[in-house]
Amino acid sequence: MKRSTPYFLLFPALLFTIVVLVYPLLQNLHNSLRRVSLIRGMGDWSGLLNYERVFQDSLFWLAFQNTVLYASVGTMLALGVGLAFALLLNMKIGRITNIMGFLYTVPWVISPVVAGFAWKWLLNDNFGIINHWLISLSIVTEGITWLGDPTTALLCVIVARVWQFYPFAMVMFLAGLQAIPEEQYEAAAVDGASTARKFIHITLPNLRSVAIVLLLLGVIWSFNDFNMVFVMTRGGPIHASMVLPVLVREFSFVQFDLGKGSALSMLIFGTLIVLSVIYLRVVSKRGPA
Amino acid sequence: MRHVPKTLLLTALLSLCCGGPRNGVELQLWNFGGTPKMIEWVRARADSFNASHAMVRVVQSQKSWNMIRELLYANLGAGTGPDVMNVHANYAAEFGGAGFFYPLNTFHDFQEVKSWFEPHMLESTRYGDNYYGLPCSAIAFTLICNKAMFDAAGIAPPRTWSEFRRAAKLLTRDSDGDGTIDQWGLVLLGGDRGGFSYRFAPFLYRAGMNILSDDLRRVEFNTPVGIQALQLFVDMHQVDHSITPGFLAYQHSEINDLFCSNKVAMCIEGPWFRSLVEQKSAGKEFYTVPVPVPDNLLDQYDTLPTLQDMVMYAINGNTKHPHEAWELVKYFRSCEADMFWITEELGAVATTTAALHCPQAALKENLSIYIHELKHARPWPPHPGIISIANNVITPWCQKAIVGEISAEVAMRAAAAEAQEIIDRGP
Repeated sequence: MKRSTPYFLLFPALLFTIVVLVYPLLQNLHNSLRRVSLIRGMGDWSGLLNYERVFQDSLFWLAFQNTVLYASVGTMLALGVGLAFALLLNMKIGRITNIMGFLYTVPWVISPVVAGFAWKWLLNDNFGIINHWLISLSIVTEGITWLGDPTTALLCVIVARVWQFYPFAMVMFLAGLQAIPEEQYEAAAVDGASTARKFIHITLPNLRSVAIVLLLLGVIWSFNDFNMVFVMTRGGPIHASMVLPVLVREFSFVQFDLGKGSALSMLIFGTLIVLSVIYLRVVSKRGPA
Repeated sequence: MRHVPKTLLLTALLSLCCGGPRNGVELQLWNFGGTPKMIEWVRARADSFNASHAMVRVVQSQKSWNMIRELLYANLGAGTGPDVMNVHANYAAEFGGAGFFYPLNTFHDFQEVKSWFEPHMLESTRYGDNYYGLPCSAIAFTLICNKAMFDAAGIAPPRTWSEFRRAAKLLTRDSDGDGTIDQWGLVLLGGDRGGFSYRFAPFLYRAGMNILSDDLRRVEFNTPVGIQALQLFVDMHQVDHSITPGFLAYQHSEINDLFCSNKVAMCIEGPWFRSLVEQKSAGKEFYTVPVPVPDNLLDQYDTLPTLQDMVMYAINGNTKHPHEAWELVKYFRSCEADMFWITEELGAVATTTAALHCPQAALKENLSIYIHELKHARPWPPHPGIISIANNVITPWCQKAIVGEISAEVAMRAAAAEAQEIIDRGP
């Protein structure tokens, strides 16, 4: 084999990476440092002005706060729900375990756009099934305007996010649970440990590294999640559920300020790089399971 | 001799691979939005143009109306895009002013073509001294009243703001007696920022106000009357609770669902609403009346303007084939073509004088009210920043006031300051 053969074979993949990843990234960085408008084209060099404009925009801080909430609360709750279901499935109650295992993973395989539309209709204030149930059970007297109220809109998209992410957490936790040596539980039983103590002192420490990986992945994926929020609320009402990825669209394709949109996407990219580095370090420390 | 078949095959393959127009010009036509019937008509019209123009081939592409600005900005800004497209008439200022649309008045027969159209409709396509499109599908915003609900309450459609507020309050009730409100007087399109401003602006115009000054340099919607217009909605939402509580999340489909299921009595819509209602609830009746006016202007009820909106067929300023594109635009907007807007229910009004005054037009339901409203209606001011002002400034500030986050006065003052900044910044 010639020395150049591997490079030759790698060339298509390398070219693809350059075209779809490296070039857009560099172009975006370039745009973020200039005055760019789709209608006026590429303008003057503006240094860090676009970044300054992003930080001066109150909408950015609202979106940042919402994104942190969406990513952290959404992921934590999804981890909690995922762990609960994983524990349930790990009990192996006959054949029903397999059926429930399949059902629990359904949200994971549904497209976020389809799921977003489904949630939008479930939460519809007049025709939604959730309000119908709440009224039927006399929990509320009139329909709640879930997505039309600035105080509840973000909560709704967080719930939808939890619903979508928990199956992944469940599968990962289930794998973690099944890897815990049975001897540890047997030894604890001999010492007279209760179920709760076994859970706190054996199960949770053994799942620690899985939880950290899930937390990081959940935060990373939530941080750049556009679909669910856009389909359900478009960042509204009155920006109440605005998150950073939707704000990039707002700056770039609603206000047509490409420079500002590019600057914001570079900031999101930087944040995600930091989170990814932490994730990779955690994973490499964990080593092979 | 042996190579002849190979050469022939190669030539045939090459000609197939090259594709494109054979012996002529290829025109790209982008059709944004439209009802299924309209889309079908555009296709048939393009085919008919191809059949009658041997040297030109129209390649039609259907695009989403929701993506219109993004697609136009991205393509026209890059010097590409279609040769001919249907767009909002108020893009004449934004895109025409930037040189992205071809000035149609430079064609030698423009004066003759101009005479096809109702003058006030053609004016909406003008920016500065140039006309950037031929009108199509005119729209006037009106008040739609649910006939079943109004008749059951024994009231007539409102004409003044007080009547409007009273009617909405009266029609907000617990219809099934379970102790909760399940029927509202008014629904607003709050989940679509453009849609909201298009429903609020008619109230400003009907109050005799301007959005911008005549020279387009000063914001004028923050007058006491403008604040009163916003206060009307604030009171209806905050005091009377006669606007559907979840309106901030509503898109067109929710408005239609609520109206067809008799959960709301009024909405502010245009001529397209008939076909939407027909799809969901065939035969449902409603009153189409002008948007109410302030009480003290009742004597001008018939002449105060509402908001006019319109589509126009425009030509790309960078097209390589302006004359062929012009022929196509004329073919799509001729009086004969415009008759389709009279014979079919397309959700918009014809724009040529011949079509609007033909005998069939007199038989078309509600057409007379739209013709009347369009005679006085005004479009958004022809300023390049007006769409941004309407969608990104007026809507969020007014919505904040309606839901009670700030007062109407503060909202209008803040919106005016932001809008003035956009105007001062220039295109």
